[in-house]
Amino acid sequence: MNQQPFDTLKLVSLSPLPTWALVAMCAFAIAGIILATLGVRREPSVVRRWLLWSLRALAGLCALFFLVEPGLRRLQVARVKSRVAVLVDRSASMGFPVEARGATRSAAVADALEALAPEMEALRDKYAFELYGFDPELAPTSPGAIRTQPARGGRTDLLAALRSATAGSNSPGGRRLSGVLLFSDGADNTELGSGLSERARQTLQELGVPVSTFAVGHSGLKDLAIDAVKVDDFAFVRSSLTAEVEVRGRGFRGETVQVVLRREGQVVATRQVRFTSADDVETVSFTFTPDQTGRFVYTVSVPVFPDEAVTENNSRSFALKVIRDRVRVLLVAGRPSWDERFLRGLLKSDPNVELISFYILRNTADNTGVSNDERELSLIPFPMQEIFDEKIDTFDVIIFQNFGYSENGLSIAQYEKRISDYVKNGGALALVGGDRSFGESPVRFGALADALPVDTAGAADLAPFKAHLTADGLRHPITALANGSQTTEAAWASLPAVPGANMTRLRPGATMLLEHPSANVDGKSAPILALWDYGRGRTLALMTDASWYWAFTSHAGGSPSHHYERFWANALRWLVRDPDLTTLQVVADPSSVEPGRPVGVIVTARTPDYQPAADAQVKVDLISAEDGRAVASQAGATGPDGVARLEFPPPAPGAYRLVGRATRGDKSLGEGQDAVAVRAVGTELADAHVGTALLEQLARLTGGKAFVVPRGSLAEVPLLEPPLVEVGRAKDQPVWDRWYWLAAMVAIIGLEWALRRRFGYV
Amino acid sequence: MTLSRRQLVVASAATLVSARARAFSDASLFVPAVAQHAGRWDARLSGLRRLAWELQRRTSIEVSLEVKPLPLTSPRLFEFPYLYFGSDGELPPLKTEEVENLRRYLTFGGFIFADANDASDGDGFDSSFRREIARVLPQSPLGAVPMAHVVFKSFFLLDAAPGRVLRKPQLEACTIGRRAAVMYSQNDVLGALARDESGGFEHEVVPGGESQREYATRFAVNAVMYSMCLDYKDDAVHLPLIMKRRR
Repeated sequence: MNQQPFDTLKLVSLSPLPTWALVAMCAFAIAGIILATLGVRREPSVVRRWLLWSLRALAGLCALFFLVEPGLRRLQVARVKSRVAVLVDRSASMGFPVEARGATRSAAVADALEALAPEMEALRDKYAFELYGFDPELAPTSPGAIRTQPARGGRTDLLAALRSATAGSNSPGGRRLSGVLLFSDGADNTELGSGLSERARQTLQELGVPVSTFAVGHSGLKDLAIDAVKVDDFAFVRSSLTAEVEVRGRGFRGETVQVVLRREGQVVATRQVRFTSADDVETVSFTFTPDQTGRFVYTVSVPVFPDEAVTENNSRSFALKVIRDRVRVLLVAGRPSWDERFLRGLLKSDPNVELISFYILRNTADNTGVSNDERELSLIPFPMQEIFDEKIDTFDVIIFQNFGYSENGLSIAQYEKRISDYVKNGGALALVGGDRSFGESPVRFGALADALPVDTAGAADLAPFKAHLTADGLRHPITALANGSQTTEAAWASLPAVPGANMTRLRPGATMLLEHPSANVDGKSAPILALWDYGRGRTLALMTDASWYWAFTSHAGGSPSHHYERFWANALRWLVRDPDLTTLQVVADPSSVEPGRPVGVIVTARTPDYQPAADAQVKVDLISAEDGRAVASQAGATGPDGVARLEFPPPAPGAYRLVGRATRGDKSLGEGQDAVAVRAVGTELADAHVGTALLEQLARLTGGKAFVVPRGSLAEVPLLEPPLVEVGRAKDQPVWDRWYWLAAMVAIIGLEWALRRRFGYV
Repeated sequence: MTLSRRQLVVASAATLVSARARAFSDASLFVPAVAQHAGRWDARLSGLRRLAWELQRRTSIEVSLEVKPLPLTSPRLFEFPYLYFGSDGELPPLKTEEVENLRRYLTFGGFIFADANDASDGDGFDSSFRREIARVLPQSPLGAVPMAHVVFKSFFLLDAAPGRVLRKPQLEACTIGRRAAVMYSQNDVLGALARDESGGFEHEVVPGGESQREYATRFAVNAVMYSMCLDYKDDAVHLPLIMKRRR
């Protein structure tokens, strides 16, 4: 039988005695040596004393030698290969070029791996090199795949990758891990993103294997990036808020760039930022005041320079929900009246309303009878310029109540365009009738007339009347004085007749909710309550100055009602586009979408009486907020709860509006919209930097070595030696059973005895 | 106080200008409504007319010069949110229906200006009115009106509430919520404005004479202005200027 030769020797004890017996006898021998030493301690000759001590010690050693019975064990053993994990970063930032217009970082890693392949081959009898990509989950890969398949990982988590690679490396039966080779750009954006914490250091030290790092990429790349935007998720309309933007500039030392904040394409503000170092992060603050409620997409951007490494990180979008704190109402009354008094009382008692009011208490024809206006009157000048020019955008609703003056100081002619623009840009306007309104006013509106849902149509009709609900009025939330159309109709019928109405003509596109029961204009019923959307805003016209009858006179019969309060509360909510007064709600889910992710939208449809609209057909358009172009459409049907969930395939980065419409049968359930921001780059692609310093720290803490691709050789890489494992035969060969060992022991003992006798100790 | 020729011309012009406005009905005007109770309710009708005239002359309020007597049980009470309530002498107890109607009237926004035409204090109209208003608004007793109240700055800047007499400078009010629903003067305010058929003032004003009459007129105007504008002059936009003028 042809057996392999023994390749290892090992010194072993061949004694059949148990260990405890050997230990006891060794102790006995040592005690004998000590006693003998004590016996000659008074010997005056140092030479004799040392000679006797040495001979006794040698004799003791000889006794121990025969007790232990030493032997040689011949072994046939073999080494088991250890693993070396080669981890390659497959996060998206590895797609960045190593240098401007150069190969990608992944390609550089593939080159480096191919260059190291011969060295790996040379070490194959000791180490098994296992190649994994991490994103951050580990998956086997190859240099070819690394070169050809784009890196897509959404984040870089070096610590997670190292934990996965080293997990179970020392478990019984598993191959031992001798080291980790980590190829990465070091742009960790998770746990190590802000540096090595104490906890991370501890984790690294507990890995138990040296991690050698191979940094890839140049840190000298030129790049502008919006690193972060710090802003609240929501803001109050007409209240300023601040967005803090961190702009990173690499290779822009001494240069100034412009940072622009846009709201869906419209420039909101610009700032300049100057970089003072080659790798600098500057913070710029944008303080702005949203003027409209709803959700809007804001985008912060910096210019794109031709030699930049990454251009996708030059802008960043965020969605901002603008909500209302309190409805800010400006009430301008042409003169004190009961209509004004009851409306004021209502608005002042509503905690959700902030009322700012101006009444004309004295006109130019009045004679107050005082000699000193300043000291005797409490009147203040009507601050028209301040209200209608400077502060108009701070109001949610402007109500003109029986207001019409041609006199200097009271005429608003010069502000009509400004008021009209205010409505067009999202404001709300209500005109209430009276003997100074509409056709009764001494002046005719100019620019403001375009914003109104009615035209004047002659003198007022002074006959008392009860307003009739129109078909639109039966369904509209403003005129919904009760739940359900029948009770609403009954509620309106129960209200007292009001004296007189301004005569107006409904303009094309306007909606009439209340009509005069008998007075006609152009053969049609004269409108009493009309409204429409004007631009992004809304206007309402009420052609009577006696809506206060619904508040006060209606109580004459003794049955209290809250129809007046409900009517005006509904009107205000409709004017300010209260989301609860819309029959169709469209909500982006979520409002900010990472690149490559689908855009979700939740549509909630309600019937005009605000019940869930089941089986309604819903269609939502995804419209680019930049150019108004429809990008995609999705359709679906609502469930029993009136809710439909739709999803758009991932669109290109940018700001979008989701405009939804719903129908049931041939009836429209209205329209709603929301905004969604599709980000150009996620966290991973927002930063092109190379974390060489982080990789060096990793290597140092684990006992590895840091390299920069393409440099690096396996000969310099610290790796743990693979363990030896016996796999073959063993043969013991005694070494104690030789005659000369015995002769030597007898000679030593005999010599000691002879000397002791001669020196007088025996 | 007598009007100068210039003031008369201006006042006439004001009347002409206001006549140009086409009021829809009494609903949009200040109508001098008076409570028609079982006592001597009509002692100050000419004063009420004069008050309407003064409002027309001095302010932008559009008025009806015709006094509107209203029984306290009338549903038409609810078309006239300002109600003058006075009597020269004791006020007989109100009927239950009258009390209930008045309570509803005041609760839902009506305003009563109560005026002791007999300038009584502890007897006559004073004691009987206090008794009856306590029945109407048992939850809102009469209380002193502080000088910081908006009624003293609703149009004219005033520091007193005089009338034909100055028996009790302190004004009292029943408050519902933050609104003074009833204001009560023991100084016969409209007695200072009342005129006889020949156009002369009906009563002497004591102790301040014509100056006091002017301030009584101004206070009556302020009370109407308060009933129509509530706490408008307490709005933040007015306060700095008013505080400055009061210094």
